Amino acid sequence: MAGNLKDKEAYQRLNYLHQAAHCVLAQNTSNDALARFYSFTQRTIAKRLVLRQDPSVKRTLCKKCCSLLIPGVTATCRQRRKGRRTRFTVVRCLSCGQTKSFLNDPGHCLWVDKPEAQLENQVQPGERSYLIILSSVITASREVGAAEASLC
Amino acid sequence: MWVNLFVALILENKSKKEAEAFAHAFIAGSMKGTRAGSAEETLARKAVVLEYSREKQLGRSRRRSSKRRSQCGKPLSAGEKRRLKVFDIKPEHQRYELFLPLHDLWKQYIMSICNGLRPGSSPQLVQQKLLKADFHGAILTVVRSKCPSYVGTTGILVQEFKHIFKLITKEDRLKVIPKNNSVFAVEVNGFVSHIYGSKFEYRASERSAKKFKVKGSIDL
Repeated sequence: MAGNLKDKEAYQRLNYLHQAAHCVLAQNTSNDALARFYSFTQRTIAKRLVLRQDPSVKRTLCKKCCSLLIPGVTATCRQRRKGRRTRFTVVRCLSCGQTKSFLNDPGHCLWVDKPEAQLENQVQPGERSYLIILSSVITASREVGAAEASLC
Repeated sequence: MWVNLFVALILENKSKKEAEAFAHAFIAGSMKGTRAGSAEETLARKAVVLEYSREKQLGRSRRRSSKRRSQCGKPLSAGEKRRLKVFDIKPEHQRYELFLPLHDLWKQYIMSICNGLRPGSSPQLVQQKLLKADFHGAILTVVRSKCPSYVGTTGILVQEFKHIFKLITKEDRLKVIPKNNSVFAVEVNGFVSHIYGSKFEYRASERSAKKFKVKGSIDL
């Protein structure tokens, strides 16, 4: 699967842009404009080529102003409570004030981490087509039966 | 004194210069409520509780439409981007040495794209790869141009827009060079490739989805 990835260059480019944004921020933490520009480019490329980005990448970008969210540098990270039990991790972007909140649920598992998200664990396409053929045969025979009944 | 404290905290895994730069930026960021430039003075005189204060100047435009917009996280419109100067690099960050690590990163990226770039590899293949590659961080030189004063400008490409390249030269100047009617050279490990700017007038993000056609050009 990894051998013949379709948009390999595009993925490499996304990777480079993400790293470049981190690199620029590491040089000077107040140079968020350039990091934002790279993240913005990264997002538009992913949008144009319809590539899905990993949640770990997506959660470090601000939805509104596209800046990199690094807790303590460009974002604040707080724990908020709603009701008695439910707690959220709230990440607020320091440049535009947009918040993201994530539910603290230890049992939660991302779709990507689930075993059925992997390609080899999915239902085999051969089996499925066989089932479809079988069901179509059944419906066809039913129709024939109905036609015969109407003839009589 | 405060700066020294921060520097001591950060110094563990960074060089002193980097740590100092980080400390200054961090203090300036945490004290946005006070007047610009006076943060150090205030800190020197009295004890201040460092806390987060939201920026005031965005306030009015945000308040009007805040309820609807802030919840759904709509991206900024073009007008808002222009007003907030989202992508403008501040003059104090326009320094050549700040971008040298970016250039190193770019070299690694290009190497990985071209599978090592051996002298035997065919130029057509490499150029096909370069067309779809990213040029932020590359060292560009203007080889030919309709305007003679652009010729010979060398610098690290910082931002690429639809009609413009923004370069940082070794003299710490930010140069804005139009793509139209000029030819650029990119040098990767002794492999020099030319970019015809007139054929390259797309946004950086559009280029990766674009199909380029082989066509002769008359000008230049």
